[in-house]
Amino acid sequence: MKRFDLIIVGAGPSGLSAAIEAAQRGLEVVVFDENEKPGGQLFKQIHKFFGSKEHRARIRGYVIGEQLLEEADKAGVKVVLNATVIGLYQDKEVVVKIGEEIQHYKGNSIVIATGAAENMVTFPGWTLPGVIGAGAAQTMMNLHGVLPGKKVLMLGSGNVGLVVSFQLLQCGCEVVALVDAAPRVGGYGVHAAKVARTGVPFYLSHTIVKAEGDDHVTGVTIAEVDDNFAFIPGTEKHFDVDTICLAVGLSPMSQLLKMAGCKMEDNPKRGGQVPICDEYGRTSLPGILVAGDVSGIEEASSAMIEGRMAGIVAAEYLGYIDKGTLDKELDKLSKALLDLRQGMFAPSNRGKAITETEEGIAISESLLRKGYVDDSEIERFPGVTHQSGVHPVIECTQNIPCNPCQDACPKKCISIGDNITSLPIVLPDSECINCGMCVASCSGQAIFLVNEDLGDGTATVTLPYEFLPLPEAGTNGVALGRDGKVVCDATVVGVKSMKAFDKTNLLTMRVPKEYAMTARFFKAK
Amino acid sequence: MVNDRSRDIGPFVPGPDDDMLICRCEEITKGEIRKAVHDGMWTMTEIRRYLRTGMGLCQGQTCSRLVKGIVARELGVSPSELEPATSRVPMRPIEMRIFANEAKDGEMNV
Amino acid sequence: MCNTAEVVIIGGGIIGNATAYYLTKLGMKVIVLEGSMHIGNGGSSRNGGGVRQSGRDVRELPLVMYGIKNLWPYLSEELEVDCEYHQDGNLRLGKNDSHKAILTKLADNARSCGLDVRMIDGDEVRRINPYLSEEVTCASWCPTDGHANPLTTTLGFYKAARKLGARFISGEKVIGLKTIKGKIRQVITENNIYEGENVLVAAGYDSRKILGTVDIDVPMTTSLLECLVTEAQPHMFDQMLGTAEADFYGHQTKHGSFVFGGSSGLEPFNKDNGTPVSSPRTAPCICRGIMKYFPNLKDAKIVRTWGGWSDKCADGVPVIGAISEIPGLYAACGFTGHGFGIGPGAANQLAKLIATGTTDVDLTELRYDRFRAKI
Repeated sequence: MKRFDLIIVGAGPSGLSAAIEAAQRGLEVVVFDENEKPGGQLFKQIHKFFGSKEHRARIRGYVIGEQLLEEADKAGVKVVLNATVIGLYQDKEVVVKIGEEIQHYKGNSIVIATGAAENMVTFPGWTLPGVIGAGAAQTMMNLHGVLPGKKVLMLGSGNVGLVVSFQLLQCGCEVVALVDAAPRVGGYGVHAAKVARTGVPFYLSHTIVKAEGDDHVTGVTIAEVDDNFAFIPGTEKHFDVDTICLAVGLSPMSQLLKMAGCKMEDNPKRGGQVPICDEYGRTSLPGILVAGDVSGIEEASSAMIEGRMAGIVAAEYLGYIDKGTLDKELDKLSKALLDLRQGMFAPSNRGKAITETEEGIAISESLLRKGYVDDSEIERFPGVTHQSGVHPVIECTQNIPCNPCQDACPKKCISIGDNITSLPIVLPDSECINCGMCVASCSGQAIFLVNEDLGDGTATVTLPYEFLPLPEAGTNGVALGRDGKVVCDATVVGVKSMKAFDKTNLLTMRVPKEYAMTARFFKAK
Repeated sequence: MVNDRSRDIGPFVPGPDDDMLICRCEEITKGEIRKAVHDGMWTMTEIRRYLRTGMGLCQGQTCSRLVKGIVARELGVSPSELEPATSRVPMRPIEMRIFANEAKDGEMNV
Repeated sequence: MCNTAEVVIIGGGIIGNATAYYLTKLGMKVIVLEGSMHIGNGGSSRNGGGVRQSGRDVRELPLVMYGIKNLWPYLSEELEVDCEYHQDGNLRLGKNDSHKAILTKLADNARSCGLDVRMIDGDEVRRINPYLSEEVTCASWCPTDGHANPLTTTLGFYKAARKLGARFISGEKVIGLKTIKGKIRQVITENNIYEGENVLVAAGYDSRKILGTVDIDVPMTTSLLECLVTEAQPHMFDQMLGTAEADFYGHQTKHGSFVFGGSSGLEPFNKDNGTPVSSPRTAPCICRGIMKYFPNLKDAKIVRTWGGWSDKCADGVPVIGAISEIPGLYAACGFTGHGFGIGPGAANQLAKLIATGTTDVDLTELRYDRFRAKI
């Protein structure tokens, strides 16, 4: 039987990362993936990633996918697509369906990197066509170019719900509401804010009462819930929709590990049934490793680091590197992983109600309840300052591990410091040259360039704009506030698109100067 | 874990959403699952074998978490106290003719 | 709660559950101890669902015939669970002369016990089951055989016994038995001690170890059995099937799926290293076997495969009855991979034996001390 040094199941971010590290150290590596395209979820991720340079921050997910594939190819990794691993048996035997036959392989080591699958929730009508997973909607839009629907209600305010809502808007869908039974927005505030300012209403402490329709979804009723998640009578709200997207979490796809006999546990903190493993992905069975969501739901950036760890661990397990080298490399990666697990959304903070930033600033309650920072709260954050002339206004109000903005500014106007989760500050006396690099670099689309007073009673606001078609200079419309409501009339001064902006267009609009600090989105008339 | 099946879990009380489908593949409702618990099916494995939940094409990918929640609530325990769903080969349904068609050693096509 | 009963049953499989049911029906107080977390977790849930008489050893034939005549037809109604019992006959298929010889011998044996089994040719086989390929040239045909759902039947007995007051405790692994003043009395588990005037050991292969604690040995070993199940298919036929070559057996369920068991030939030597035991070679082999008989199932999708250990007795039939050396001790084990169909009958007679000391079917041939050296 053909034996590989390392067989990896799943060509997503963690699987490919493991493959690259192992192959670079001399292992013969094969990666099996059941899909026709590699990359796992990466090619659906059209947004820019958070993190620091070493986490590939500010690069869009699909580009990271391309980079990983190129690196894997260079390292000599065999990636076999349309190859479904149907079983993991005793003695690390892998049975794969490839084409019209099944093939048996053995791995001296195995990395399971099968990722996760979407959860569902039940309500009357949940089985109607038109009720779909948010991830499914993303697949339809971003991989297949198919619109999931025209009018959509999103259930779930975690990062998946927020990101997919934004992508639905980008595709031209109407997102009628973003609903979550929890009392607070679960995902990053900046993701929520970019959805809220387009006019999508947030309904926290609400959930779906029923989906309506005979043979497909034609509407949905939501209602407010009390502390015990029971509906409060009289709070029902109806929406006409053709699609209901569910973004209610993911469950690890850990079946292969279970069938192989790995010790498993049901760990709600990791998202469900996961193998018991150490911090580097070693399971209870020698030589069988895990990386990515299959061992606990996180996100692609940490999955890539876990993958790299697993690849290096496999290299040491098989004698391609020594223990000393292993420890040194793992130490480095552990630090990178630790960085990503810092801040308010750190796994260790799950379930905690955080009221203050690390800097001691009160968190915006409005952001958590409604998806946007209220005008009355915004001034307390260090990125929001006032200067004459054009200057950055950074509406980044939560401690998340992300710092591309501080490197983006050629004039060093923006500082985060060594602590990657610190809120960015705009340094006083800094000289903004209106280049827009900070705006385009912010994965959260939270940076604006504002000239508060042009001297003629108007102000200009430059905002990140990722919608097509791009409005032309001179287009009249309205400016929307952070809450998505019309604040004033606005005229497009210009739209700047550059390769360095990586598809984030910078739309500059002119508004009456009293709205300089409230106008945050443009809508053509 | 010692599990005395004579422990009193109270009577079966019909619920308003008992007719809601939970396992879509096998068309099993919430009420059927709740009743099965009162018939003594106290583990996910017993529920599966008794009702066929999670035994369809998706092999429980969609419903196992939902079923677990219902069973746990009926028993008055936390879902994580129930054993996780079983996993069996094949990970994905596979046609008999393909499963039967093993590549010969030496004909590996990677 | 009190850990004493008139009968303590070790093993929550079909034998344990059904015996508990028949005993409680007779008014006895019963405790059932199941070592695993799940009721019906051993061979009772891991078999092809055959309820057949044909092909059996004449020593156990009367017991299964008793069950098929008196119990199986009424079981669903009695247990209030759909056991999916079908009595639509068993075809044991052959493809050549040597198969025919095997089948003819089995049929002759069965007829000597009064069972209606006859040999039929390929054309008649296909009149009964038109989906079978031309490769099939003969079969033994037993019209009173059938099949049922082992999962719902096993759990159905549990449900009904529990409802009648039998106390079931899962996760209660038995370490040993203890006699007091020459009689069986105690069942010692990892966590507790249970006491009973009677103890029935019906724990599959584990019975050997448990009985060994009172120095009783049933010569048996384990052998892996593997099954697979397809997605639901349109209804095709209701017979139970087997083959002379033993390359597969099974039936179409009420649900529409096909449940087929089979073997790779390596089963007696399979490795049990503590991990799940399905072999990567067996399911493909079963698929190849099936397709020779049913070419039109080639596109049916396999959704699941599973394996389980059977308790294989030295002479191929179970030990059922009282262990006369130790008053109060009973055993029902060593069913050798065909314990499901015979289960209700065996349990029913065991219950009667425990409650009254008599049986309707003579169990002498199945006694525990029948094993002799070959010369």
